[in-house]
Amino acid sequence: MKKEQAAPVPFPGFGRLRRSGTRIGLISAGAKRQLVDRIVGKLLLFVALFAIVTVFFIIVFLLRDGYQIVLETGAWNFLAGQDWNPAGQNPAYGVLPLIVGTVLVTALAMAIAVPLSIGTAVFTAEIAGPRTRSVVKPAVELLAGIPSVVYGFFGLILLTDWIRIAFDQPSGSSWLAGSILLAVMAIPTITSVAEDAISSVPREFREGSLALGATHWQTIKNVVVPRALPGISAAIILGMGRAIGETMAVLMVTGNAAVIPDPITDVFSPVRTLTGTLGIEMGEVAFGSTHYHALFGVAVVLLFITLAINSASRIVISRIQGPQGTARPTAHRALVAAASRIAHAVSAPFGGVVSPRTSQRCAFFLISLSVVIVLAALGMILFGIVVNGAGAISWEFLTGSPRDLGRAGGIFPAIVGTFYLVGGGLAIALPLGIATAVYLIEYTAETPLTRSIRAAVDLLNGTPSIVFGLFGFAFLVIFLNFGISLIAGQITLGLMILPTIIRTTEESLRSIPGSLREGSYALGATKWQTISRVVLPPALPGILTGAILSIGRAAGETAPIMFTAAIFSSRYLPSSLTEPVMALPYHLFVLTTSIPGASTQSYGTAFVLLLLVLAIYLAAILVRRRYNREKVM
Amino acid sequence: MAGKSLSNMAAVAVAGTLVALLMIAGCLGSEGDSVTSPSQQITVTGSTTVLPIAERAKEAFEANDASAAIMVSGGGSSVGIKAVGEGTADIGMASRDLKPEEAASYPGIVRHEIARDAILLVVNPENSVDRLTPGQVRGIYNGTYTNWNQVGGPDQPIVVVGRDSASGTREFFSEFIMDKEDFIRTQEEFNSNGGIQQKVSRTPGAIGYVGLGYTEGVKALALDVDGTAVEPTLQNITDGTYPINRPLFMLTDGEPGGLARQYLEFIMSAEGQEIVASLDYIPVQG
Repeated sequence: MKKEQAAPVPFPGFGRLRRSGTRIGLISAGAKRQLVDRIVGKLLLFVALFAIVTVFFIIVFLLRDGYQIVLETGAWNFLAGQDWNPAGQNPAYGVLPLIVGTVLVTALAMAIAVPLSIGTAVFTAEIAGPRTRSVVKPAVELLAGIPSVVYGFFGLILLTDWIRIAFDQPSGSSWLAGSILLAVMAIPTITSVAEDAISSVPREFREGSLALGATHWQTIKNVVVPRALPGISAAIILGMGRAIGETMAVLMVTGNAAVIPDPITDVFSPVRTLTGTLGIEMGEVAFGSTHYHALFGVAVVLLFITLAINSASRIVISRIQGPQGTARPTAHRALVAAASRIAHAVSAPFGGVVSPRTSQRCAFFLISLSVVIVLAALGMILFGIVVNGAGAISWEFLTGSPRDLGRAGGIFPAIVGTFYLVGGGLAIALPLGIATAVYLIEYTAETPLTRSIRAAVDLLNGTPSIVFGLFGFAFLVIFLNFGISLIAGQITLGLMILPTIIRTTEESLRSIPGSLREGSYALGATKWQTISRVVLPPALPGILTGAILSIGRAAGETAPIMFTAAIFSSRYLPSSLTEPVMALPYHLFVLTTSIPGASTQSYGTAFVLLLLVLAIYLAAILVRRRYNREKVM
Repeated sequence: MAGKSLSNMAAVAVAGTLVALLMIAGCLGSEGDSVTSPSQQITVTGSTTVLPIAERAKEAFEANDASAAIMVSGGGSSVGIKAVGEGTADIGMASRDLKPEEAASYPGIVRHEIARDAILLVVNPENSVDRLTPGQVRGIYNGTYTNWNQVGGPDQPIVVVGRDSASGTREFFSEFIMDKEDFIRTQEEFNSNGGIQQKVSRTPGAIGYVGLGYTEGVKALALDVDGTAVEPTLQNITDGTYPINRPLFMLTDGEPGGLARQYLEFIMSAEGQEIVASLDYIPVQG
């Protein structure tokens, strides 16, 4: 990429203007540039197809191990069966309660998370002063860096207790607990991406609206948010993907009883999600047994649910955008309907009757409230980790190897292992992701091919991390015979964060005004020159946000690596890609769930993991702040 | 314009450095620089119940023999059986016997019983109940009893907590206590002893079953066998008076050799079995 960029361009397009002239040198330079352009285009297409190939492989390998269950029980008994009881005397493999559990938990989580996130995003982008903004935005992103195991740990200790006592229930493990936890986990994703979308609305829109006499709130409600809706809906889909796919935290708080709540609105009933089932049963299931095939069947069902959600949102979009026909009906803008309905619902009480000023006050109060709630959640978790974890930190803890089952010694191999895993995943996903996004946005009009690439990316994005783990296990560990190894974990993590990088890159490329590209073309620059010098540089902060979110996610994920790369203890650092590694989140998971009397070390490990992610975030936030300051000037 | 492109370049530079650092970390995992390579290496994988024994034995073994490298990982009994059967691990760990499918797939697997594990019934410390008959336990887990006052406790709904259906512990519990009868459907399920321990210690009405080492913050129940309460003490478990216990296995593909054999011999030695006892498992030798 760098090499091609360095092609000499004295004055782009000069040669082209005088094509019939005598300046042969310039003409050939132009021809060369166009050749480069064509090659780059082909290369990018090739990379973009990778998403489709991956999806294909995932489906093939899940079906390969999952189809037997349908042969054994019949499709109807599998999908609509009310009993999930693989260990019973008459084993039953009905996934209906699991499907219902997944849908209920996710729906309630989104009902909680979406208003809070959009409120926080609006606050950060439109209402807060620069100083408040510089605190709130990173704080919210920090929430994304907290590993799901830590959420589960806190959920188990604080949340379920609170629900049990506050609502006088025998047990706090419930649908409600799962939803609250998932909401907290989805908030940073939704807020970050929605905030980027709102911030990228051109300033002239706001100034125009204010100049016409609209209040600040009216401007936000009627001008800024509608304009940012595609980005906001993308944010919601991303958040939903995270919520559906979450495994480790959910299985620790929902109780995992495979029952359909009775009545269906009983939020205190224990439920079990599809991911939770995979998370708790995959580890110990006998290979090749009916139960094993049933679990792969569950993974297939999960995939198809994601597919269904994606298709439904695409239909909703094309309905909204169909009559106007202005915007491209991309899946990316899914859930516009839902988002606009929410926007209307939020604004409805403040319409007509109330004076604009009062309605602004009410709205701002609600928005501030949502920020306070989000920050309080963050504060509570951080407080717990810092207070309990700081005491465990010592030189030996940071540089030593674990002893006595992790109750003593250090976590150095886990720290290094996490670096290897996340770094490798990023090295795989970042080039692929950026190339795919550039191809989708810059190189093609809407064709059946790009539609299928986008569909594949959507599907990958919604694919739960535990399914990546299962795929990594079935394909990399078993089929390719990599064994439990660093490389298997890196590839699995890379695939998992790929869609996030593609989406955020796409979004930020899209926010670059077309006039910039037209100006560049008008000067005779080729497509690739335009992309590499005009479009990509200003899109960098957005791409960076995507990379940050990915790093945070990859560093904290347990589900994809627990079957592919992680080991509990190793005295040596891995000396090749084929060896297994220790990793912080997995270490934390084992410490919290299987080693009694290691809570100090658990908190310490969580603390170190947080610090690590924090350091990465800090670097990126500095970059972004620098960029934003220059932009304002 | 000039200032803007300058700041862009700075942004690119910093971002590039960040990414490059991570990529280097990812790609150059091959430069093992800190520790010299071990001369002999084996991998041990499988049941998380057996994992503590393997881990502690590894530490002691490596302290004696600095050239040996033993890598221990969890994943569950099935992972252990599969791994040793396929040859991806040298030793597998299992908290259950091989299933017929597994025995058929991997006929070469040799079992070594290295310890026994007791299963305790635990309730919240606030619960006034401190003994149950096997029949009452069964009644609680199949849904016959739903309130503690039906088994001599306070008026409080019972929160039934158990292991996931792939768990070896649950399978054993199901055979021993339940006679394979189905569990109540609202049973809350966890995939680890620690999860159950946490849950029971924080829920006044809960009952669960865990391994011997997981009694912090919970109350272990005595088992009422024909009118006498049998406390789950190490003494009672070792001599078999407390009946709920099961074997733990290490598996090899054929008879082991080399480091794997030395390691297994170490576990079966007096020192190894002392480790077993110190971890709240029941020794099988001496």
